[in-house]
Amino acid sequence: MKKIVFFLMYSFIVLSIYTLGTTRENEQLSIALNTQYANSISDASQKLGELEDAVKKSLLFENNKSSSKEREDIWRLSSDIKSSIAMLPVDESFSTSWMNYLGRLGNYAKESTEQGNPNEYYEVMQRAADNLTELSSEWKVATKGMLTGNLSINHWEKKLRDSPEGKENWSKMGQSVMEYTETVFPLTASESDAQKKKNLSGIKEDKIAEEEAIEKFKQLFPNVSNDLIVVDKSRKGSPYPFYHLRFAENSAIGYIDITQRGGHVLSYLVERRMGKPTKSYEELEQFAEQFLKQADYTDLVLEEARENDIAWHYVFVRVHPENGAKVFSDPIHMKMAKDNGEVLGLDASEYIRKEKLASQPIRKVDWQQFFRPDVEVMDEQLAYVEDRQMQQRLAHYLTVVSDAERSETYKIIIDTDTLEVITTEKQ
Amino acid sequence: MKRVIPRLLFIVVASVLIGLFFVSQSEAFSGRDLAKGAKGDDVIELQARLQYIGFYNGTIDGNFGYGTYWALRKFQEQYGLPIDGIAGKRTKKKLQGISDYDEKFVQGQLAKGNKFTYYGGQPLEEQVKKGSQPQKQMQAPPKYTDQDIKLLANAVYGESRGEPYEGQVAVAAVILNRVEHPDFPDTIGGVVFQPGAFTAVADGQIWLTPNERAKEAVIDAINGWDPSENAIYYFNPITATSKWIWSRPQIKKIGLHIFCN
Repeated sequence: MKKIVFFLMYSFIVLSIYTLGTTRENEQLSIALNTQYANSISDASQKLGELEDAVKKSLLFENNKSSSKEREDIWRLSSDIKSSIAMLPVDESFSTSWMNYLGRLGNYAKESTEQGNPNEYYEVMQRAADNLTELSSEWKVATKGMLTGNLSINHWEKKLRDSPEGKENWSKMGQSVMEYTETVFPLTASESDAQKKKNLSGIKEDKIAEEEAIEKFKQLFPNVSNDLIVVDKSRKGSPYPFYHLRFAENSAIGYIDITQRGGHVLSYLVERRMGKPTKSYEELEQFAEQFLKQADYTDLVLEEARENDIAWHYVFVRVHPENGAKVFSDPIHMKMAKDNGEVLGLDASEYIRKEKLASQPIRKVDWQQFFRPDVEVMDEQLAYVEDRQMQQRLAHYLTVVSDAERSETYKIIIDTDTLEVITTEKQ
Repeated sequence: MKRVIPRLLFIVVASVLIGLFFVSQSEAFSGRDLAKGAKGDDVIELQARLQYIGFYNGTIDGNFGYGTYWALRKFQEQYGLPIDGIAGKRTKKKLQGISDYDEKFVQGQLAKGNKFTYYGGQPLEEQVKKGSQPQKQMQAPPKYTDQDIKLLANAVYGESRGEPYEGQVAVAAVILNRVEHPDFPDTIGGVVFQPGAFTAVADGQIWLTPNERAKEAVIDAINGWDPSENAIYYFNPITATSKWIWSRPQIKKIGLHIFCN
């Protein structure tokens, strides 16, 4: 009996100490988290005020260059607030619209320094300044409590989620920001074009029937297309309608998505047990090229290849028929099995969005003058790439090394007409 | 006759030894040709041999990138071989003839995660710094770091390990779509750890060790596959608590997840 009592007492004491320790640890964690969130809120609040000031200050000057510091501040502060907002457990609809607004505000301020009409800038930013004043006061109301230390993040979240007042604050702010974004920063023509391309609005071909989609699948992948599990259609919210076919044949399970308009393959991917690698890089490249030719993708060249454990990934890009430039926005990705050379994956979703490409002057450049003396141009080609304004530009596509040791390699893309450096990517 | 027998014996022994030497040399590399983008033990050997004779100064990591490519071209140029940046039979044979490869040393350092070089004529022990070289496991487009890939694999495993492979690739693609989207943070870490964005972060499942399937799904997503068809959200209709998520335009359902815009 004594032993049992002793054992029970001992267990009780151990359990109490453990519970006490865990509770303290949780409390400490909770305090640390609250502090971090409070810090993010205070940071966002302060920077929101600074952003409002910077926008207003930038409106004082007639000349773009005179307000360049303020415009730089707008870009920096919007990016900072975006990061702070991203760290907060605020309402998802609000945070997404808010980050969109801040991104657009920052980009507009930055881009308008170099190009843009001062009158248009004044008009847009005047509205942005008014919105920010309004938002600033709404933000103060919505974050009240967190900054005084009276409210834990859990209570704050609960209050926002459950109380009509909390819901009202955030939904009002979310709604306001969304409206501000639409009215102050509407989509530019090139953004709208980019959106249309993404939504495959350009496909005007006739709709194909489900049977035709299955036939297309069988024709492209005869080895895996005999046992379909599901033939489905995309849901109503999809910007472009497509057929979604799932299959399982032998050990292979996968899917293929085919557009309803025109019956174009969007993507195909198969998962199966893999054998020992037997095929070489060259063989797989040949198989991939043969497949593309048979599938009537005839205007492509290989751009890059990467080996991974079970497969090689190849990227092919479209070539412009007139100037031979590579069109990086129109790629086809292929995944080739190392064991038997089978096509494990195909993604042509970007390729079927075919870019409209305008002709453009090509200025000759002396690269020795353009780069520092220790930079060597190893390869030079032409390519179409999207610039910051989301427009397709013809560019010099250079592979350069930075020193005699050739230790660092870069891909540099330079506009053929303006000679603006569009991207510099370390390899 | 007495003189002929020892001579014959000598010729036979010498032939066997020479034969053995060439057999062992040709078996050192695997039979495949090595081109830019390749990875594996034979690329490690290629890099080590090029470094041994002073052509390659980069990290020996088994990934055939531009550093290896330029070194190989320089070697081919200097030794009168066709300059194509591909390590075929002739190039490998030449390289084996003039360099040395201590597989035990090189693989040993890689296994220990040591930072090391393999220059000929220098004591090997002086070329090692302990435990400071991260291992590059996968080949990805240059804009993604190893850390990005690891984090993505953790997120995919934590969020969708019971889902079909297509669904796992789609989850990785949604994260990548968010990085490109103006409404979300600009980095993979920022997107994954955005408060309230992913259940696996909230319940700690993000820290489970991902399996090979999840890693493969990430590799496919960063190499261009997007079974979600440009989705930026997904949810499980059985467990979703947010009413707002139901208001998003739905694109397709994969396994238990509905993907939407």
